[in-house]
Amino acid sequence: MSKVIETSHLCRYFGEGELLVKALDDVSIDVEEGEFSAIIGPSGSGKSTLLHLIGGLDKPTHGEVILAGTNIESMTRSALSNFRRDHIGFVFQAYNLIPVLSTIENIEYVMLMQGVPSSERRKRVFEMLDILGLDGLGGRRPAQLSGGQQQRVAVARAMVSRPNIILADEPTANLDSKTGISLLDMMKDLNVRHGMTFIFSTHDQKIMDRARRLIHLRDGLIELDEQRKEFAA
Amino acid sequence: MNLILRLAWRNIFRNGRRTFLTCLLLACSLIALVLTDGVMRGMMDLMVETTTRTFAGEAQAHKKGFRDSFDVDLYIEDISIVANKLEADVAIEAYTIRTMSGAMMSSADNMAGGLLWGVDGEREAKVSKLKEALVDGSYLTGKDNEILIGEELADLLSVELGDRIVVTLSQVDGGELSQALFRLSGIFKFGMREIDSSMIFINLAQSRKILGMEAGAHQVAFNFVNAKDAVDPESATIRSLSTGDIEAASWVDLQPQMSAMLAMVDFSLLIVGGILFLIASLGIINSMFMSIYERIYEFGVAMAIGTRPSQMVTLIMAEAFFLALLSIVGGMIVSYFLIDYFSVAGIPMGDMEFEGISIHNNIKTIFDISQFTVLPLSVVALTLVAAIYPALFTARIVPSEALHKSL
Ligand SMILES: Nc1ncnc2c1ncn2[C@@H]1O[C@H](COP(=O)(O)OP(=O)(O)OP(=O)(O)O)[C@@H](O)[C@H]1O
Ligand SMILES: [Mg+2]
Repeated sequence: MSKVIETSHLCRYFGEGELLVKALDDVSIDVEEGEFSAIIGPSGSGKSTLLHLIGGLDKPTHGEVILAGTNIESMTRSALSNFRRDHIGFVFQAYNLIPVLSTIENIEYVMLMQGVPSSERRKRVFEMLDILGLDGLGGRRPAQLSGGQQQRVAVARAMVSRPNIILADEPTANLDSKTGISLLDMMKDLNVRHGMTFIFSTHDQKIMDRARRLIHLRDGLIELDEQRKEFAA
Repeated sequence: MNLILRLAWRNIFRNGRRTFLTCLLLACSLIALVLTDGVMRGMMDLMVETTTRTFAGEAQAHKKGFRDSFDVDLYIEDISIVANKLEADVAIEAYTIRTMSGAMMSSADNMAGGLLWGVDGEREAKVSKLKEALVDGSYLTGKDNEILIGEELADLLSVELGDRIVVTLSQVDGGELSQALFRLSGIFKFGMREIDSSMIFINLAQSRKILGMEAGAHQVAFNFVNAKDAVDPESATIRSLSTGDIEAASWVDLQPQMSAMLAMVDFSLLIVGGILFLIASLGIINSMFMSIYERIYEFGVAMAIGTRPSQMVTLIMAEAFFLALLSIVGGMIVSYFLIDYFSVAGIPMGDMEFEGISIHNNIKTIFDISQFTVLPLSVVALTLVAAIYPALFTARIVPSEALHKSL
């Protein structure tokens, strides 16, 4: 399997002097194509920070992030934006959507940026609405959707542009258990059938149960990088 | 519609009150600018009109050298050269022919020096306000021995209508003293000291006789049909009159202090505009930053999913552009009605004095196409300039930080 993202000796410090916070301290992980992994650890252990670095939303204080063979240090902000647009799908814990856009417009946002022709866009959007059980909600604004519906729209937006990898920061934290499970099952399905790569940060046992790899973080350090045998292909 | 423009358009309606207030600020700046411009134009016109239409005329023709020396010998002998051209010129409304010389007036009680004008009553009435300024007695009819003097001079000489006044002056070509007896036929009051205390008017024919000129005159004063024509010191009319030993000039050259004043008016409009723009742009920057800070998390998301920094700049600039557009539409509508209203009703300005001339009319605002082209466009340009800083700020947002600033 090929490596999608490589990182080595990642450090991310915030503040300075007395107030220096080492959110990440010498972390090296590689992400392989087709992974379904979870970064877990207590609050403040650096999960979000790591996920942001992996996705090129932030640059490390020390260390290297290599996205599809390119060190992000050598990429302009604009090139990095384009890379994220074309290769990475993000789902955040909450408030993922642009409030002034409808469900359909939110889902096609990335495709509009990519310049996907409108017939193709429509086709893919309606496919997604169908898969995620969002039929009939296409014209609503985020404020008119429930938290679970909003989260599903965010997942749809992340997946619809067919990125190589989806990074999801506590995607189920705001969902009730049933909605969370159906969302996870759907993502697992995409992973198995289409080989889409998923990395989560989570506290959620349901995700941990389904993940093939668990990266345990504590105080900015990898405590354990665990491949789960029961999932081995 | 382009996604970014669609976003920008919808975004400005998210916080209706803020958008309204920002637009109000911009619209008011535009209205203030348009009104200031309209008032300034009105004031300039009023000043020009007062100085030209009271007596001097919008332009004058003399024999070369007369304007510098006021030498009675320097008169235009063949006035028909000038008169024919003016008669044929469609740009000319009216002209009047005048002799002008220094003179001594004596009454039974007193003596005074003054400026004696010989004029053709009918022609004069079409160019200057002499006839309207008459407060007592009757106007010049062309009969010999009629004389009009100002109220102040009448006081000084202690004369009443019908009283005798002896005018003494020196004739042309040799300076022989010449005297003539008049009977006071009219008293005028222009409300300007210079005129009311020292100007005397008699009939042109008689003035020629006592000056010893057969024909001719010292000055031809004229007005244009369109006052704007007088502003050009090199207009076709002026150029065609300035031939041989005759020189013509419009008020722009005749009254240099007035031209200077008008240049200052332009400059003061620039200052008013500058201050307004400074205040307005601070308001815009402030309100844009408020709206950006409120949406910083959302911007973090948008950038995380691949919106480029340049697209963020476009978004903010487009929001500013739409704000400006809404503002100028509103501002122009209100300005139009205000300019229109005050162009009829006028703005009472109290009494102003300029160059010894008191101006007491209301100032009527004047419409100009620039008020609805250049000024609104400059408001748009200003808004865009003011938006550059917030836009660049937005482009520099680091997604991970913005996402952290969440909720
Ligand atoms: N932008 C920032 N500025 C300052 N400190 C930060 C910033 N981002 C993260 N930190 C600090 O870095 C540490 C790790 O934060 P991070 O958000 O990665 O934790 P987490 O594991 O995602 O926690 P949680 O489970 O609560 O989301 C925390 O101590 C946090 O306070
Ligand atoms: Mg986190």
